[in-house]
Amino acid sequence: MRLFYELLKLSFRLQLTYRTANLAGLATNFFFGLLRAAVLVALYGTSHEVAGFSLPDAITYTGLSQATIACLSFFGWWEVMHSVYSGDVASDLLKPMNYFTFWLAQDLGRAVASLLVRGLTIMVAYALVFDIALPHSGWQWLAVGMALTLSLLVSFSYRFLINLAAFWTPDARGVGRFAFSLSWFLSGFLMPLRFFPNWFVRLCNLTPFPSMVNTVVEVYLGALTGSELIQALGTQLLWIGLLFVVCQLVLRAGVRKLVIQGG
Amino acid sequence: MSSSIITVSNLKKYFKVSKHHRGAWGTLRNLLTREYKLVRAVDGISFEIEPGELVGYIGPNGAGKSTTIKMLTGLLVPSGGDLWVNGRVPWKARQAHVINIGAVFGQRTTLWWDLPVIESLDLLQYIYEIPPDRFRQNLDEFRGLLDLDSFLDTPVRSLSLGQRMRADLCAALLHDPMLLFLDEPTIGLDVVAKERIRQFILHINRQRGTTVILTTHDLSDVEKLCERVMIIDQGRLLFDGELDALRERFSGKRELVVYFAQEYEAVVVEGAQVVARDGTRATYQFERGTITASELIGRLSASYRIHDLQVREPEIEETVRRIYEERLLET
Amino acid sequence: MWSAIDIYCRLISIRIRAQLQYRISFLLDLVAAAFATATGFGTLALVLQRFDNIAGWTLGEVAFLYGMVETAFGIMDLFFSGFDPDTFGPMVQRGRFDQLLLRPVSITLQVLGSDIALRRLSRITQGIIVLGIALALVNIRWTPAKVAYLPLVLVSLIAFFGGLFIIGSTTTFWTVKRVEAINIFTYGGSEMMAYPMHIYTKWMRHFFTYIIPAIFLNYYPALYFLDKPDPLHMPSFAPFLSPVAGFGMLAAALAFWRFGIRHYTSTGT
Repeated sequence: MRLFYELLKLSFRLQLTYRTANLAGLATNFFFGLLRAAVLVALYGTSHEVAGFSLPDAITYTGLSQATIACLSFFGWWEVMHSVYSGDVASDLLKPMNYFTFWLAQDLGRAVASLLVRGLTIMVAYALVFDIALPHSGWQWLAVGMALTLSLLVSFSYRFLINLAAFWTPDARGVGRFAFSLSWFLSGFLMPLRFFPNWFVRLCNLTPFPSMVNTVVEVYLGALTGSELIQALGTQLLWIGLLFVVCQLVLRAGVRKLVIQGG
Repeated sequence: MSSSIITVSNLKKYFKVSKHHRGAWGTLRNLLTREYKLVRAVDGISFEIEPGELVGYIGPNGAGKSTTIKMLTGLLVPSGGDLWVNGRVPWKARQAHVINIGAVFGQRTTLWWDLPVIESLDLLQYIYEIPPDRFRQNLDEFRGLLDLDSFLDTPVRSLSLGQRMRADLCAALLHDPMLLFLDEPTIGLDVVAKERIRQFILHINRQRGTTVILTTHDLSDVEKLCERVMIIDQGRLLFDGELDALRERFSGKRELVVYFAQEYEAVVVEGAQVVARDGTRATYQFERGTITASELIGRLSASYRIHDLQVREPEIEETVRRIYEERLLET
Repeated sequence: MWSAIDIYCRLISIRIRAQLQYRISFLLDLVAAAFATATGFGTLALVLQRFDNIAGWTLGEVAFLYGMVETAFGIMDLFFSGFDPDTFGPMVQRGRFDQLLLRPVSITLQVLGSDIALRRLSRITQGIIVLGIALALVNIRWTPAKVAYLPLVLVSLIAFFGGLFIIGSTTTFWTVKRVEAINIFTYGGSEMMAYPMHIYTKWMRHFFTYIIPAIFLNYYPALYFLDKPDPLHMPSFAPFLSPVAGFGMLAAALAFWRFGIRHYTSTGT
């Protein structure tokens, strides 16, 4: 437990030192947020509300999704793959910690740092430029916190699983790129999922991806309350559990392969 | 224009390195002003190299060796002074200059990482516009000399260090360059591999008359290969001359190993110190300036019966180390 | 001249063979690229069912903009892969750029030949499909002038994006860390150009009109092809500025590139 916390702290501090990268990432996030906001404004035209979202809601959504993807390493996370290919994995596996937890600690540290540096800054910038929506009550903020934490876990489990492909092939980048692009399409990070046709939403709900971005956003905007909220959080938990189990199984198989073949 | 293949005159290379301030106030200062420190990597060196020479270019880390080589190969533009290679200014006539030189870097390969060695070499044929016959001729010769056949079809990334060095050497010479730059060519290699590389370099220099500039930290490379040595430190050329001259001037203590006809109790002699004794064998140390070898032998043979003897020069390592440390050349 | 083309072809064929070596990885890459593109246009197409139009432009009309940008960017990305800042930056950092300086071949040619990302074929195909959808949905009144101008617009777009890539790569000579902000101009720029540009705020539009002339590359030609009025009241020759904007960008980028190389050789790594 202590080791977990230490790793998290280390990773957190490390992420904070990447000043230029953070700044550049922030600029990128802000630009794309503005771009998407402009598109939504144009789409709304004279309508005040579409599918339960007002225009401020939709605009807030663009900032939120940028803030979320900053901490989710949404466009690619290759740490474990690199570690396998470089051989570092050997010493990592010897550490007195489950390999999954080992990386989780580091990723969480990085994610929290990104959330503070990029996520929070984006939302503040948005608040200055636009008229954004805010959670009404303390309970809602709490719900947002829970949903965000859970989405971090879902996202990490998925990314970890993808990276495990490195145990089986000397070039898993294709697998990785495919798996990441899948998450972009089905998570609702470009547009809120409720804007899509129902059949599409049902398709997305068969995957863990909405639990990564869409759920947090909807909780924040107050679109999910009461039983719906419980259900959404429950779905996130379910995906975490499922992905965790799969990760452990695949990891065990991967390690066995590594040990037998010698990398 | 002289017959030299390389002419360097008062060559300079200065770098502006921005000073980074530390601490909170420092960060503010960094943002507002930019203070620069001038690093004189190469500070006015001059030399000429004739075709066919095999020159060692040595110096401590940060002395300006790689900076000089980069200017000679055309990778870096000098801050001042003149530089001609093959009658050209390297950085001004890049393509014309580069087609006449070969370069091997110990730390990096010049070949394509994912390709089998032979395919890299084939590609170089087209890049350097080597006539097919000449290419085949050179390739066959180098394949034999460097023993490349066992890994010609292996991708470069799978090669061992020794194999990669040999492949790089072959690649650097396929186009018959007049000048070859070797930067740490034996680094990280075992003794046998080093020896093979050295033999190859000697062969190239003697048989083909290729001028070779060798930069290395391994002084036994210099000892075995170079007749001429240039020593650079802090951007200045400290020494430029023959290896023997270097030894003559700067190596302090020489050794004389004597095998006496019998085990004497004491074997002292004036002008030299006994540093080791082992049965009938005694090792003496003497200063070059104090006494000559023949004088010492004369004195010894006057007092003792000698069976055999051997004069030992100090390792060039030690000589050069002394120069760096004691800065013997500072006038 | 011919030897340059020969060397380029040889360098490219190495890359092609290297990529086809890992067949599964390559196929997955193609699918990934397809998903990436589909995310953009697919999202728009699906979402537009709920909304009527976007600032007065129908799905077909937006598809025209989208298709042009995707096809052009895809073609550019395919041939200018060597200049992709994400691949060029690491090459400079690892010191492998010196290798190029030591070979008797033009540097630009070597960089162009250093990669050809076949997975971009996916994006190109998608772009063409979206263009096809556009042409199916919208009735363009074709004239000989329009037919002749369309490929020119496409080529100008390719030149424009190529210029952006080259500028992005050149900046890596100065920065130790990759400048992630370049993505704003390359990927951000292309996404931005896929929508009718009058939806953007004034300062954003002004930037992409007067500083980086993106608006003349896709939006204005689209107004011409689709016979739509100009809400921004530019001069009537505005739609025909695309070759100027595109090749001008490329020329400026190449000048900057040469400057960058001079800087690199005078300051070293």
